[in-house]
Amino acid sequence: MNNRFFSSLALRNIKSNKQLYIPYLLSSTTIIMMFYLMASLLDNEFVQERSSSLSPLFVLGTIVIGIFSVIFILYTNSFLIKRRKKEIGLYGILGLEKKHVAKILFFETGFTSILSIAAGLVGGLIFGRLFFMLLNYMVRLPVDIIYSTSSLIVLATIGLFLAIFGITFLYNVSQFTFANPVKLLKGKQEGEKEPKGSIILFILSLVLLGWGYGISVTIPDPLEAITKFFLAVLLVIIGTYLLFISGSIFILKALKKNKQIYYRPGAFISISGMLYRMKQNAVGLANICILASMVIIAVSTTLTIFIGAEETLENRFPYENNMTLFGDVENVDEMNTRFFELQDQVQNTVYAEGLEVTESESYRYATFFGGVQGNEFVFDQGYADQENPTVLMVLPLEDFNGMTGKSYTLDDDAALYYHSTNAYKDSELTLGNKTYRVAEVANEFGEDMDLVESMAIVVPDASHLLEIQDDFKEQYPETNYLTIDAEVGWNTSGTEEQKEALAKKLNGEYGLGAGGSNLYDSRLLQREEWYGMNGGFLFLGIFLGLLFTIGTVLITYFKQVSEGFDDREKFQIMQKVGLDRETIQESTRSQIVWMFVLPIVIATIHVIFAYPIVRKLLLIFGVTNETTWLLSFVGVVIAFAAIYWVIYRLTSKTYYRIVR
Amino acid sequence: MTLLEIKNLKKVYTARFSNQQTEALTTVNFSIEAGEFVSIMGESGSGKTTLLNIISTLDDATSGEVFLEGSPLSKIKDKEISAFRRNTLGFIFQDFNLLDNFTIKDNILLPLVLSKTPVREMEERLMPIVKNLGIEAHIDKFPYEVSGGQKQRVAVARALITQPKIILADEPTGALDSKASQNLMEILKGINETGQTILMVTHSAQAASFSNRILFIRDGAVYHEIYRGDAPAEQFMDRISKSLKVLSSRGELDE
Ligand SMILES: Nc1ncnc2c1ncn2[C@@H]1O[C@H](COP(=O)(O)OP(=O)(O)OP(=O)(O)O)[C@@H](O)[C@H]1O
Ligand SMILES: [Mg+2]
Repeated sequence: MNNRFFSSLALRNIKSNKQLYIPYLLSSTTIIMMFYLMASLLDNEFVQERSSSLSPLFVLGTIVIGIFSVIFILYTNSFLIKRRKKEIGLYGILGLEKKHVAKILFFETGFTSILSIAAGLVGGLIFGRLFFMLLNYMVRLPVDIIYSTSSLIVLATIGLFLAIFGITFLYNVSQFTFANPVKLLKGKQEGEKEPKGSIILFILSLVLLGWGYGISVTIPDPLEAITKFFLAVLLVIIGTYLLFISGSIFILKALKKNKQIYYRPGAFISISGMLYRMKQNAVGLANICILASMVIIAVSTTLTIFIGAEETLENRFPYENNMTLFGDVENVDEMNTRFFELQDQVQNTVYAEGLEVTESESYRYATFFGGVQGNEFVFDQGYADQENPTVLMVLPLEDFNGMTGKSYTLDDDAALYYHSTNAYKDSELTLGNKTYRVAEVANEFGEDMDLVESMAIVVPDASHLLEIQDDFKEQYPETNYLTIDAEVGWNTSGTEEQKEALAKKLNGEYGLGAGGSNLYDSRLLQREEWYGMNGGFLFLGIFLGLLFTIGTVLITYFKQVSEGFDDREKFQIMQKVGLDRETIQESTRSQIVWMFVLPIVIATIHVIFAYPIVRKLLLIFGVTNETTWLLSFVGVVIAFAAIYWVIYRLTSKTYYRIVR
Repeated sequence: MTLLEIKNLKKVYTARFSNQQTEALTTVNFSIEAGEFVSIMGESGSGKTTLLNIISTLDDATSGEVFLEGSPLSKIKDKEISAFRRNTLGFIFQDFNLLDNFTIKDNILLPLVLSKTPVREMEERLMPIVKNLGIEAHIDKFPYEVSGGQKQRVAVARALITQPKIILADEPTGALDSKASQNLMEILKGINETGQTILMVTHSAQAASFSNRILFIRDGAVYHEIYRGDAPAEQFMDRISKSLKVLSSRGELDE
């Protein structure tokens, strides 16, 4: 018997099992497409250039989808092979050797994997292009985001999925090599057994979830959030699978024990059905739950970034006009004169345009790096010296009062401080050679302070800044960049046009192109570019949301269809002994709690616990407003629940049509 | 009292993809008294299953009518048909038709659960039946964990538990060996002796010999019938074999 024989046999098997293979091919094609599209984004210009934190997040996303693909294809394959056990068991009884059966399986896997990989890549290419075109049209960014892909990504996709299909092949072969024919013939009938040690699995799932949640809740600062995010996501994904596997079986068994609940027509049929394939049921539900979490997080965060664009713009540029003054290394004291001169110049320019300054803020500050040890702030030479350095900003009281509109007074040995982790509680703090009596104040220094661990100290006057710098220089004589810098910001009266004219004028004088040691930024002039970037986020968010929603549709569809074919015979028998249509509908209805409520609720819990870490990540992108996030999160949860409800209804109708 | 009456029953199948018609039943007339145990015999393809399916309301007749206790089955509304099947009829199938996702116990209780019977009543009904059928040791197992004979006894228990007016059995011994068949038939006979009406289709003369009356079907019509009367088992078997021989030789019956 040659390969031709086996390959044609394999082809015939696939054709004659159309009912099983069509949903299988459809779903593996879609998952391949999903992975390919996600991986292609790694190459995307926007992703690579917008922000250094975006690339690692997309690498993370790709890895997560990769892991998900492995689980999903193994899950669908197990459905398929279980239903074919009897057929393949017959080969053994009819006298085919095991290696021949393996050959048939090899060709079957070969055909299906080639077909679905090819279809997935082609589909991905078309879908990616089309969808980017559509989104560009809808979002209308100043610069279109172009869909791109590379042969490396195509190769990686092919490699990954060949490997996954290889695993399914080995799994299927092992199923047939280690089982005796009689067992195989009974294969389809036998129910799944409860996994061993399900209590341990349950505890393990809680530990993993707790660990993942814990990482999110205790994350100290955004930079750490990027590195730990991956671990947390992975823990929660594994935890979710284990939770569903052990938890759902646990609940189902408890329900079965309760006779008043179990012995009612709808529950009787659905509970026994779910217990019969308890693992598959659990994995299917966990799949839905994880995808739902991904949709909600992807869309709600990007939506927040978009909605919060104006606010982040205001955070980045607190005033309509902002000027940063860079100090002179050679002559540190020079700033104390330039600071006031420049404010006068600005004032004059504004008057010259016939406008008035309505609001302003200005402060000088010195920046140091180091860490709190006991009640001393110990300097480091530079930012790169330490694992987690604390950034210290020192500013004079005069500027602090001006900036906050308060009127603190300080004795010569007194100071105010703010600590981003709120950890410092001592009443004294040594800074250089001087020890201050200190009092804590709230964060008046901008949300940027909370990005990394930072401290702000308000000293009695500018001379203290110079003293502290002298102490620092004593410690590190070779340091050559120590300066006092300053920020000046102001709003003016006037119409938008007048403001723009002023901004253009100032931009010519002090802007990025003008050089010099002052840098001018106008919020007005930055706005368009800013919205373009944030629109780009929304674009990616919608794209990912759509991708994951398609995944959800697919998984729900696959679950319902394959279970429908699995259950069909049972329902037919039950109808013979007097099951009516209404009860069939009732039993599919009692699925709602499981298929609809459970995944959505657990996904929501996941997302709630993801809140702290996601919030830290959002800080990197300048979003600080919690209400925006909360609102868009609630909105997205409700919207997704509604979409999923439609998906659920449609697929459960399909199920009903199959079984009735 | 006449329990079941069948009048001029006719069934024509039309093939799905052609106009070819098969007349499975031409004209069938007979009636069954309450408490009888009737077997139907006939060659393969003679229309036995078709007849049974129409009586079970699983299939519609082309013309003619089936009366149960005087009321026509065709008048039952679609909505009530399932409940009617559950409460009035008990089924035993050749291939058992047990459900793998239910334990033996739940398989037996299935029709009662569908009728929303209170849990206590279900359990009260279950025990005597499973004890009587000798399957009480297996009620927590699953169907694939018991033998064929045991499965068929489970199916009998499922048919009995609703206390149906009539039990309809299509070749219940078809998938069993002779010992298990013997055992099952003794059980059915015992059930019949408690007053339960049974209508059974069978190919086996041995199985048929447990009933009181046998109808022979040929070419879609009742062709012949014999009563057991007080005859001993061997003599009845003998008469059955003789009738079958005549039936298959297509010769005339001379009695
Ligand atoms: N669904 C159907 N469509 C068309 N023809 C059918 C259908 N079911 C049965 N027939 C035909 O009707 C006739 C009677 O079939 P039936 O199944 O009643 O026979 P039977 O007496 O039960 O045979 P057996 O002893 O082999 O079970 C046969 O010729 C059969 O081919
Ligand atoms: Mg038949």
